[in-house]
Amino acid sequence: QVAVLYFARSAELAGLRAETLSVPRRLTSLQLWEEIVKLHPRLATIQDQVVFAVRQEYVLLGDQLLVLHPGDEVAIIPPISGG
Amino acid sequence: MDESEEVPKDFIKLKSEKLSVDEVSELVISPYCGAVSLFIGTTRNNFEGKKVIHLEYEAYTSMAETEIKKICRDVRQKWPSVQHIAVHHRLGLVPITEASVIIAVSSPHRAESLEAVRFCINTLKASVPIWKKEIYEDEYSWKENKECFWANSEK
Repeated sequence: QVAVLYFARSAELAGLRAETLSVPRRLTSLQLWEEIVKLHPRLATIQDQVVFAVRQEYVLLGDQLLVLHPGDEVAIIPPISGG
Repeated sequence: MDESEEVPKDFIKLKSEKLSVDEVSELVISPYCGAVSLFIGTTRNNFEGKKVIHLEYEAYTSMAETEIKKICRDVRQKWPSVQHIAVHHRLGLVPITEASVIIAVSSPHRAESLEAVRFCINTLKASVPIWKKEIYEDEYSWKENKECFWANSEK
């Protein structure tokens, strides 16, 4: 069980800011994205623009294998605009 | 009087209240430093012909603070003489002309603090999870920094 956090455009499309999700301990970042899109199909429109932050480290959507622990934070990160 | 050098400090704050240039400069002032360099990011009132009413910022706060700490660490590696660094970023609603970000760096001589401030704002725009929404009269838009390393740059 991981905590998924939504920000900016992704929070608008998903309609919420946070939820818990049950996922396999080991999966690729793309597979994790696909699980999230199943819950919130409108997120598919931003697939090309987002990355994840897993335990506060950026991860691109792709083949990278993630090893998740219960309670880990996974954040959906749309293109940033600080400063 | 303590003969050891002043301990270099990083002052990082994300807050919804109005930012203060005086407060941020005073944080970094040091008797060992002859230079304090400052960057202030303010909000423009127009974008592509549309009138901007105000800005709204949100952040992944815990990660934003961690990323800013990494920037401070990188600054100190590149410019070891840098004394103090302060980065204050505003969150929530920011009216036009008010500051969204203030960065101040002190160093004994001016070259390092000037370069360090530039590096801070450029790297902040590329890596810190903060988002800006521009509110216009009839619509709004989530902005995207061109520095963002994963954004689709063909748009």
